[in-house]
Amino acid sequence: MATQARSAGERKVRRSRLLPRSVLVVGALVAAAISAFPVVGGTDSYVLQLIGKFLCFSIFALSVDLIWGFTGILSLGQAVYFGIGAYTIALSMKLNYTIENSTRYGGTIPDFMVWNGLTEVPGFMEPLLSTPIAIALALAIPTLLAFIFGVITFKRHIYGVYCAVITLAEALILEQFLIEYQAYTGGFNGVTDYGNTRTAQFLWFLVVLTALCFFGARLLTHSRIGTVLKSVRDNDVRAEFMGYNVANYRIFVFCVSAFLAALAGALYAAWVGIISPGDTGPRFSIEAVIWTAVGGRATLIGPFIGTFLVRGLEFLLSGSWLANYWQFFMGALFILVVLVMRDGIVGTLLNWYRARRRGAPAEIREEQDRLEKDRQHDWRPSSEPGSRNDPV
Amino acid sequence: MIWNQFALQILNGLGVAAILVIATSGLAIIFGVAGVINMAHGTFIMVGAYTAAVVNKLGGDMFMAMPLAFVVVALLGLAVERGVIRWIYDRPLETLLATWGVAIILEVAARLIFGPLGLKVDWPDLLDGNIKLFARPPHYPYYRVFHIVLAAAIMGLTFYLLYKTNFGLKVRAVRRNRAISGCMGVDTAKIDMLIFMYGSGLAGVAGAVLAPIKAATFDMGFTYAVSSYMVIVLGGVGNLLGIPVGAFLIGEGETLLAFRYNTVIGQLLVFVAIVIAIRVFPRGIFGYHERR
Repeated sequence: MATQARSAGERKVRRSRLLPRSVLVVGALVAAAISAFPVVGGTDSYVLQLIGKFLCFSIFALSVDLIWGFTGILSLGQAVYFGIGAYTIALSMKLNYTIENSTRYGGTIPDFMVWNGLTEVPGFMEPLLSTPIAIALALAIPTLLAFIFGVITFKRHIYGVYCAVITLAEALILEQFLIEYQAYTGGFNGVTDYGNTRTAQFLWFLVVLTALCFFGARLLTHSRIGTVLKSVRDNDVRAEFMGYNVANYRIFVFCVSAFLAALAGALYAAWVGIISPGDTGPRFSIEAVIWTAVGGRATLIGPFIGTFLVRGLEFLLSGSWLANYWQFFMGALFILVVLVMRDGIVGTLLNWYRARRRGAPAEIREEQDRLEKDRQHDWRPSSEPGSRNDPV
Repeated sequence: MIWNQFALQILNGLGVAAILVIATSGLAIIFGVAGVINMAHGTFIMVGAYTAAVVNKLGGDMFMAMPLAFVVVALLGLAVERGVIRWIYDRPLETLLATWGVAIILEVAARLIFGPLGLKVDWPDLLDGNIKLFARPPHYPYYRVFHIVLAAAIMGLTFYLLYKTNFGLKVRAVRRNRAISGCMGVDTAKIDMLIFMYGSGLAGVAGAVLAPIKAATFDMGFTYAVSSYMVIVLGGVGNLLGIPVGAFLIGEGETLLAFRYNTVIGQLLVFVAIVIAIRVFPRGIFGYHERR
């Protein structure tokens, strides 16, 4: 495309912006993890467990941000991919755990299978006994599912409200499916008691993986593909006229996002050591959207900050008398973010920061103007004036 | 004998379809005219159910609760429209999120006020009993007949309102072309508001009618709401016929598949069928065909 047309100065500005902010975030994450070690002592501490959990949730929120913030696809069923990744890993760990530490029922099959009258591990679950295969499946199945879903819907120009509603139903059905087939999934209680990976090394692994996901997303959104994705978000009809195959770009980013969600789910299941159908349901999906919206969509730091802030607050308040009213606060926060602070915390701060740096050198100003022009576009897909008739 | 069972299942499916029509009509009308998917629709149904429960406790029956639920939930809808949705009509995706916020608040409020356990609502005496279709026991209960009659009545009333009154003419004009209707002197914001009230009121009636089937619980609405979204996706909102047709296909499909396999498989298969169907009809069977 127009790479040559871009002035050398502008390119320099871009490159200089790539580093500081991401380094800052990754540095902050690492610092948070490091400072947590001496404060709370051992790896069994609850706060440390929370930090690992929040890191997984951040990756999940990042996956929502990629499709919603950068491409304008609102999925209310993102937890489907999170949940499938998580269940695959949890079942795999459970099968291996019961072989190593035989249950009080004496057998080598998981307790919920005993309760439901199974005498041996069903054949289709046997691949899960091998950890590498389980990890591969946990990441591949959701991505494949997202690909199929994307081909069916995006190729037929189904997006926006319709896509949101269909993904919502998808999540609800998966949740009920997991509850119904309790012989294989543990039913309403989910998969429990399969050990966990709560060690200091694994927390570092989580930190590194989160940073890697962040860098990957940074590379994606700042590449040529990322620019096309943003143009699809702002005006898909125009992007189509420019010669881009909008549907393929949507499918691509949907798959990437499903992959990230599955990764988050797999890490979550391994770290926490318990997984229940609620973690695949519509409510959890929408919660991830809330984190992203509060932190700031279309920014990469937003999901991280939103996750840590909302979940952290929830944790702090859950012990106090405010616990009953926490949900009120959540709902009000959500309405407030949509009505008043559309760009979330990070976006609002960024806007303020940009407005303050008016006196910057010419090339930076040029870049700022371009970004601001981007922001002024409405988030909704294009429509003719007054044609709210067919909301897409 | 198997044919008797089969016929009974088809009739049961008809009853389920009627429930879907009752639950969906309000949502579909709002979506069709104002372009807003109301994620709080399920909680509006829940509020209607609690209204019925309160009326029941005070000694009234379901028939008294229905008009009252209509008024209560229509006023609630008015508050939500004026307070929240009015500002974000031009951002359909964000109305989803804002109304979800409303839903969370209402759900917690209901749980705090009425407690986490459900409130039982009695059937009116009139609806106790069965129609004896066959000589042997699985009979067809009166309340299913009542649902079918009510669904037909709601569709008839809405049809009358939209196609036979002056108000309906304006609604259809706004639905066709908002800008031109505004130029012709139609107060489009007021039409949106009134339609939102009417749709919310229908959700309230749905809640009052559905409360006796199960109990009124704070999270009862969500499942109904998701089924309603599916009816809209399948049926489309270009035409009033989309609601009964979508509801009939989904209701019969789910009931018959649940009879053959089980409930979850039924839902799953119907969902897959819907996803395949929207490849053929991207805007639903009775979708509004725009000029692209």
